[in-house]
Amino acid sequence: MGPGGTVRIEVERAILQSADEAAAAIRALLSERKIFALNLISSPGSGKTTLIEALLARFDGKGGVAVVEGDIETEIDAERIRKHGVQVRQINTHTSCHIQPSRLLSVLREMDLSETRLLLVENVGNLVCPAEVPLGEDARVVLLSVTEGDEKPLKYPLVFKTSDLLVITKTDLLPYVTFDVDRVRRAARAANPAVEIFEVSATTGAGMSDLLDRIEALRAAKK
Amino acid sequence: MHELGVAGEILDVVLSEADRHAAKKVTSIRLRVGVLRSIEPENLSFLFEHLARGTAAEGAFLEIVEEPVRIECEGCGVSEARAFKCECPRCHGPNVSVTGGDSLRILTLDIED
Repeated sequence: MGPGGTVRIEVERAILQSADEAAAAIRALLSERKIFALNLISSPGSGKTTLIEALLARFDGKGGVAVVEGDIETEIDAERIRKHGVQVRQINTHTSCHIQPSRLLSVLREMDLSETRLLLVENVGNLVCPAEVPLGEDARVVLLSVTEGDEKPLKYPLVFKTSDLLVITKTDLLPYVTFDVDRVRRAARAANPAVEIFEVSATTGAGMSDLLDRIEALRAAKK
Repeated sequence: MHELGVAGEILDVVLSEADRHAAKKVTSIRLRVGVLRSIEPENLSFLFEHLARGTAAEGAFLEIVEEPVRIECEGCGVSEARAFKCECPRCHGPNVSVTGGDSLRILTLDIED
């Protein structure tokens, strides 16, 4: 007992422990069902939904794909994905700027995942909050479009540090913007030496098959 | 504004610890926050104060111990920086990797019982 009846207690606890626990439950659910899951993170408008559509085209007929869309409001992205005839669920996070793992866990428990082999989770468009919260994913993919500026890894290092794949998108626009691809590669590698970097254009198709091949290989490697 | 979610998580942990120790009041909370977390201390304190109203942690002081970015340089070893860098802050070598600076932990609580 210190002066004035005050006691100091040692806590030494990570603050996001409850999120970590929910993420572990998701990981267990996915692992039991042999589902490979990607968590897609980026600023709004860098091409997450477009990448999901490319993955749907690639994996069509190769085992079920299920999609969970995260957005603050609206069903716009879920509607877009639903047209492809796959199972899709929308999470509206309202006041939260990222998908909470507890929310994803309850959505996954409601879905029929018996045929699902690939789960694609599109996080809320934001480079800060989604980086802090694991969703039990097998691989985290951060997208960065060339129109956003090449200083993003310096401004938002955590998401680059915690991602397995970095996808530089809209590379067909490189002649029209100031964007130093090497600068991004250097900064991303400093944040995470193991990050795998892809340069793609969904418009011209450049680089897309390399990226899709890699994701297919990662999925196949999950037993 | 991601500090809102963080403030809520802190309050959950603090209140459960306070409960476990049968504390009437939490007077101070010491946190370690890595620079890579992009947390604005003033924002965090403001939001925490708001959320803690009417709880045992009402009025508690948030003491934030900043954790620098830890940079390992192939050329000269380990150093620290106040912000993320993709070159060594000491020898300016380009072959660096960031190995720390993302903590988000509660260290201690001061309570009155």
